[in-house]
Amino acid sequence: MRIRSALSAVAVGALAVTMAACGSGNGGSTGDGGGSDASGGADGELSCGEITFWHYEGDDSAMNQSWLVAIDEWEAATGGTVTVEKQTFEQLQKNAKIVLTGDDVPDVMEYNKGNGTAGQLASQGLLTELDDYAADYGWDSVLPSSIQTTARYDEDGLMGSGPWFGVPTYGEYVTVYYNEEMFADNGIEVPTTFAELEAALDAFVAAGITPLAEAGAEYPMGQLWYQLVLHHADRDFVDAFQLFDGDVDFTSGPLKDGTDTLQEWIDKGYINPNASGLTAEDMGVAFIAGKYPVMVSGSWWFGRLNAEISDFTLGQMIFPENSLNAGSSGNLLVIPTNAKEKDCAASFIDTALAQGAQNKLAELGGLPVAGDASVITDENVKVLTQNWDAIVADDGLAFYPDWPVAGFYDQVVSFGQSLLNGSKTPDQALDTLGTFYQEGRADITGE
Amino acid sequence: MSNDAPSIIDPTAAPAPSRGRAPTPGRRPSTRVYWLYLLPGGIALTVVIIVPFAMNLWYSLHKWKGGLAPMRWIGFDNYVDLMSDDAFWRSFQNSLWMIVAMVIVPTLVGIVLAAVLFDVVGKNIGTRTASFLRAVYYLPQILPIAVAGIVWNWIFNAETGALNEILRSLGVTDPPNWLGVPGLALPAVMIVLVWIQIGYPTVIFMSALQRVAPELYEAAEIDGAGWYRRFRAITIPQIRPETFVITLTCTIAALKVFAPIYVLTRGGPEGSTLVPSYYTFLNFFDKSKIGYGAAVATVLTFVIIVVAVVIQSLQARAERREEEGR
Repeated sequence: MRIRSALSAVAVGALAVTMAACGSGNGGSTGDGGGSDASGGADGELSCGEITFWHYEGDDSAMNQSWLVAIDEWEAATGGTVTVEKQTFEQLQKNAKIVLTGDDVPDVMEYNKGNGTAGQLASQGLLTELDDYAADYGWDSVLPSSIQTTARYDEDGLMGSGPWFGVPTYGEYVTVYYNEEMFADNGIEVPTTFAELEAALDAFVAAGITPLAEAGAEYPMGQLWYQLVLHHADRDFVDAFQLFDGDVDFTSGPLKDGTDTLQEWIDKGYINPNASGLTAEDMGVAFIAGKYPVMVSGSWWFGRLNAEISDFTLGQMIFPENSLNAGSSGNLLVIPTNAKEKDCAASFIDTALAQGAQNKLAELGGLPVAGDASVITDENVKVLTQNWDAIVADDGLAFYPDWPVAGFYDQVVSFGQSLLNGSKTPDQALDTLGTFYQEGRADITGE
Repeated sequence: MSNDAPSIIDPTAAPAPSRGRAPTPGRRPSTRVYWLYLLPGGIALTVVIIVPFAMNLWYSLHKWKGGLAPMRWIGFDNYVDLMSDDAFWRSFQNSLWMIVAMVIVPTLVGIVLAAVLFDVVGKNIGTRTASFLRAVYYLPQILPIAVAGIVWNWIFNAETGALNEILRSLGVTDPPNWLGVPGLALPAVMIVLVWIQIGYPTVIFMSALQRVAPELYEAAEIDGAGWYRRFRAITIPQIRPETFVITLTCTIAALKVFAPIYVLTRGGPEGSTLVPSYYTFLNFFDKSKIGYGAAVATVLTFVIIVVAVVIQSLQARAERREEEGR
């Protein structure tokens, strides 16, 4: 999220560029519709030499570990070799549009999902269209539709429609973490419905405990707000808000109802007003230290919480009664237009989506897009993954509140601070937010 | 952008009253050679300042999202929009507070500190102690701003920060939310800026005091002037050139301040600590409104040029008056 927002920054620049998206995904006919079987997409007739793979994940990360599995399987199946070249995202972000115009480009590359990043490269004609591969390997049926949203970009680089330009192998979502001991010690039942959640939060307030760990100076407050908006919303709202498919009303409906609920939560003392100046790190550290019973934040916290919490038992649940939740696919694997071994690159991507690599992701809590939660041994990882599977199966990913228009992150942060500080009424704060949204949207769509 | 500051403020250049008079006729033929020496500087000036400035001006007349996106000529529309942009006006209003925190307070405190270190500590306790204390006051200037910003963030943290821990231990039940409330974040940032700035005038003023002829003080002392009278009548007028230099450099720094805002508040909460440079940055990189950001940068540049010219002419006038008085 932090990176994402910084990113959405840089590049809406190229959205309006209408360079013909070239690269027609030539070939790809060798696949056998696998995707679930490691050797499936890349057997027999496809013989590969060396392919180059650029990525920027840490050595110990679940992503890197799963790609190592994919590399082994792919090399065994095709007789080729994968040369990994580690990059940094910052470097790639700055250089990609120059480097990818040359001849010395990787065959497969990790790149951030979203309009400002992969969308920009796609609209500049720097990425290969993957439609043929997606059909041949069956990615379009393996990947759930809300995961596919971030894989497809139109000619302006807007996600959600148009050809495939990348393939995500993992995902992320916003969930509810809680401190089981604090619930037990105060005799409060762990909620399963929204009403029970509010009752539990009330009970903590009555016991003199501020229940929600929050951070108003960075992304968490905006995500809590979005969860509450989504509580009142349906898929049509998300399509309108995120993909500009329909009008968005800032004076009534989900945005108004969610904002009013958030204001109510602040007024009832669920959130410490001091949160307006706190960072996400402050929030996480306070939750780990056992100062707050509940933290609503992303799956990217899970690894750290699971490793560092020792004084209490970590509980997790999907935000009660939300059929939509903030979250999205992870980063994409893309094939540059100037790549030489496109067919081999596509078969490697297919291997990264196959059981071996996906199960490695699952084991390490990396939220596979096509994995099997039954291989997981760690109880907490299992819950995290099962919740993820449930949300994805339900087409429940609603992306992030700051995604729609460039520069929206700062507006959402400021919006949350206004509510926390009581310096604006919910209606006034929404009005400010809405004005910015509509202007930004008109800028992108040219209406 | 305003790396040109040093040339304006070169302290050796300022008090040279005889410069610029008509050259003697005999020197005329050789002056042409001097132009060669100016060439490297001229090229650097063109490449580093004039060209980027012209490009910035050019961008500000367009609507442009950057990158390969098409540029659309819109004349002065960006500037017209600025006039009705609350955030723009707030950022310049905050610039005035930045001047208070980076120029006025540090200069006043610096002059007193320098005098105390030089006159009292230096003479009664020892010059070594004085130099040590001077170094300590200068330390925040050496610390990387990113490091200082993180430490101050810890200090100001409303929940776990050192400042509020101290306040709580003193019995304050509800200590302030320093960086989270619009009314407090600006003063908090100003405190950090004063802390950063104070060493600079102190060091300059101390070297200035060494330049002042000791006979003046001795004569005044014989005439029975106390420390304060000597400070008012001798010290302050004698170090006027340094005061102008500090005022000019610090005012420029205050107008274009960016890093402390970036590391402390990012212009928040609720835009209350927005400053022009950060607003430019936001437009350039966050909103991809290159033309609009360029317009803000252009206005900022002109404001800085005007302020610099005003301060310089005030200095020139003060010097002229001094010369006439003699």
